[in-house]
Amino acid sequence: MIKTIVGFIAGIALVAVIAVTSAQSLMFNITPSPYGVEETAARIQANIQSPEMAAHGWKLSGLRDPSRAVASAGSNVLPVLLVEACSTNYSGPLLKANANRIFSILMPCTITVFKNDDGKTYIGTMNSGLMGKLFGISDIMDQVAADQEAFLTFDPDKPAPPLIKIRPGGGGAGGTDVGGC
Amino acid sequence: MNTPRMKVRHALILIGCLLVTTSASAIVADAQPKADGAAITAQPGSATTTPVVTLANEKTTVAVSSEAYTKPKAKKPSTADHSKFSELDKDFKTGPEVTKACLECHTEAAKQVHNTKHWTWEYLNPVTKQKLGKKSIINNFCTAVTSNQTFCSACHVGYGWSDDSFDFTSEANVDCIACHDTTGSYKKIPGLSGHPNYEKMEWPPHSGKFREAVDLKKIAQNIGKTSRQTCGACHFYGGGGNAVKHGDLDSSLTNPKRYLDVHMESDGLNFTCGDCHVSDSHEVSGSRYAPTATDDEGALIRGKRNGRNPTTCVACHGNTPHPGNTTITAKLNAHTDKLACQTCHIPEFARGALATKMSWDWSTAGKLDEKGQRIIEKASNGRVSYDSKKGHFTYDRYVIPEYVWFNGNVKYTLFGEKVEGDKVNINTFLGSADDPDSRIWPVKVFRGKQPYDVGNETLAVFHTAGKDDSAFWGNYDWDKALEWGMREAGMKYSGEKKFVETEMSWPITHMVAPKEDAMRCEQCHTENGRLQAIDGIYMPGRNNTPLVDKIGFTLALLALLGVLIHGGIRYLMSKRG
Amino acid sequence: MERMYIFKRFERFWHWSQAALIMFLMLTGFEVHGSYTFFGFQQAVAYHTIAAWTLVGLWVFAVFWHLTTGEWKQYIPTMDKVVAMFRYYLTGIFTNAPHPFKQTRLKKHNPLQRLAYLFVLLVINPLIWTTGWFYLFYNSWKDWGVDWLNIEYVALFHVIAAFMMLIFFIAHVYLATAGHTPTAHIKAMITGWEETD
Repeated sequence: MIKTIVGFIAGIALVAVIAVTSAQSLMFNITPSPYGVEETAARIQANIQSPEMAAHGWKLSGLRDPSRAVASAGSNVLPVLLVEACSTNYSGPLLKANANRIFSILMPCTITVFKNDDGKTYIGTMNSGLMGKLFGISDIMDQVAADQEAFLTFDPDKPAPPLIKIRPGGGGAGGTDVGGC
Repeated sequence: MNTPRMKVRHALILIGCLLVTTSASAIVADAQPKADGAAITAQPGSATTTPVVTLANEKTTVAVSSEAYTKPKAKKPSTADHSKFSELDKDFKTGPEVTKACLECHTEAAKQVHNTKHWTWEYLNPVTKQKLGKKSIINNFCTAVTSNQTFCSACHVGYGWSDDSFDFTSEANVDCIACHDTTGSYKKIPGLSGHPNYEKMEWPPHSGKFREAVDLKKIAQNIGKTSRQTCGACHFYGGGGNAVKHGDLDSSLTNPKRYLDVHMESDGLNFTCGDCHVSDSHEVSGSRYAPTATDDEGALIRGKRNGRNPTTCVACHGNTPHPGNTTITAKLNAHTDKLACQTCHIPEFARGALATKMSWDWSTAGKLDEKGQRIIEKASNGRVSYDSKKGHFTYDRYVIPEYVWFNGNVKYTLFGEKVEGDKVNINTFLGSADDPDSRIWPVKVFRGKQPYDVGNETLAVFHTAGKDDSAFWGNYDWDKALEWGMREAGMKYSGEKKFVETEMSWPITHMVAPKEDAMRCEQCHTENGRLQAIDGIYMPGRNNTPLVDKIGFTLALLALLGVLIHGGIRYLMSKRG
Repeated sequence: MERMYIFKRFERFWHWSQAALIMFLMLTGFEVHGSYTFFGFQQAVAYHTIAAWTLVGLWVFAVFWHLTTGEWKQYIPTMDKVVAMFRYYLTGIFTNAPHPFKQTRLKKHNPLQRLAYLFVLLVINPLIWTTGWFYLFYNSWKDWGVDWLNIEYVALFHVIAAFMMLIFFIAHVYLATAGHTPTAHIKAMITGWEETD
């Protein structure tokens, strides 16, 4: 009997350890980018603004540079740009039900572009598909995941687009149509 | 099984919190200062007060401590108020007129300047015997001064250098103002052979903007010490634009924040260039042509002139700069036998507002649009990525340096030197792990593609800018530009050119980060770390011994397996028996 | 059942503190070597250095103790019953055969133990200490006139010694369970009293 209980507890502990160690790779995707930080962010922005994605309601809601905030506080971190976008096609239905309104915490959809110590640029996204499955909102999050994939599909034949420096926060509070949330 | 799901929830809540916090502190990259084609500018200078630093004896643990520093009160730095001098109370028509007035009191100043690299643009390397200096070398930016003096001399401390006929013995042609202006209103315009505009003129060309004529009287009456602004007017803009050339020097150092440069921080130590680059008889110390890669002699007592270069980290900080005597600081101090201070304390360069140019491909220059007009394309970061006049560029910021063994000697590939192959090193940093005078240095490696005279087997000089019809920037004709340039440089163009890949290294020594941003041990002491390419030394953590490791861990594993099997049998046998 | 006071207080203290230090040195040492990341390189180096010096201090006392008490004689090698010991570990131990060695206060280690400890004392430890010291004082090589040494080889032999220590450690920990009961030796090392049949 004791052995069974010990074994059971050990099993739980093992699963917990696996969950903790693999949480990062489960929750987030990190992919290398062939471009620099600015160009990667700009190309993602251009993809978000493409006619297909605009048809899905996507709008840019901001561009943040947390590394610059660190710099103004007197310290250095390698460049990071947060590309933010939102689509009312997805945020709208999600925000309707009381039970789902908590998911506004995930809005806007953020894609991070950062440089690592190896000098290379990486793109980080949330695993929207898994998130949908976990919280029972797969119908919406699967579409978000598919769109997200399109954001990260680059056409090397297109020239580098300019980085669009949108100050975040236009959507909700400002009352303008900036943001899409 | 509830546990993983709980973990996932916790993770999500964390993510949510992160989102909210970043929102609160959002700052978006903006304010990219103007880059290419910008005029040489100097910003208004504040009083250039020299902060007092505590200097300890040679070879003490800490020679300079930033904590001990208190910001000095702003006060007049000079004992002479130049606005009270009748010599300067004149309506000067030209720069040389001002210089003549200066020389009435500062009788030896021009003669001193005549002996400096700032004037001669020449330097004889005592070790390699190579004749260097801006006048002689070819680089892989705008490539060469020869045949382009009217433009390049906007950064010469003189007036009127437009061709070989320039009189280098003329005292009146020394430009005092370029370095000693404090008003920020003095600009030497490219194309005017080192003169500012004495009349109102359109600048930049075809921009529709106009620059007022320079007010020489006001400038002369406010003359003063050099500053980050005056030095930066040229040194921040090397290579044809802000931040282009060095990577560790650009206009963001005019008023730098602490994160960018801990010595020059305008609200902190507020060092001027001259605080480190101490001058003697107008000769400014600390030259890239003959850098001091290694100095084992400890801190240099201020005022001591014994031939040592005062423009080094060691000159103030000594050879054991890390305070305290803990295991860590002792180990850090021990690293000074292999590493330049810069390697750890400038983890990245171009950390200001601006990206620095990383490559320049001249071979694609000259493409025009359907209407025959010049094409300019921009990269996502707002900097020019293609210009018909210049070809393709790339820029980057927060650049991870490359690292080399360096003993202070740099060998150049000079004009006329026969070189073969499709790859040419414009300069080579000499040094090796076996050389006790070598240290590991961070460098910016600038990669380019530039014209090469096939017949003469040498890097080519070409005529870039000018009002004639041979200048490449006027007619986009390589052969004409090459013929003119090569002739000016004293060689006949063979008529056949190709583009060769070139590399040029630049020592990284400015933009010193605060100490808490210095490189962490594991950035190098790891596989594929920062110093992966450095050969000739053993670094724990980087060089793990693969064969010994394989054998060692295999044997340990076998031992573990052995005892487990042995123990297993014992257990089973004891059960049975 | 007989009880015998074998391990004196200092000896027990020495053993366990040395055990802890060696485990810690292995943990930090292999991290410095680049085998994994645990404390982070800087911390690993600092801890490794501090632990090494602590072990040096402990050793000063241990050497003194061995010399003054004559306990060093415990490590004088003997080939007597070595084969019997091997045979015991290979077969006898499984069938509850009698232990070929009878422990006494003057001979507290069996012949295999003696050889193993002597190997540690004469091969592993000198190798690990000398290489470790040269490693630690790398920057003084010039002053000592030994700058012909190559850090790569010094480090290599330090690592080889560390692997030998690791293997010794595994075997030692396991054989600690090879008393007449699995915990008998371990108890003895804690209390000082060995129970024998």
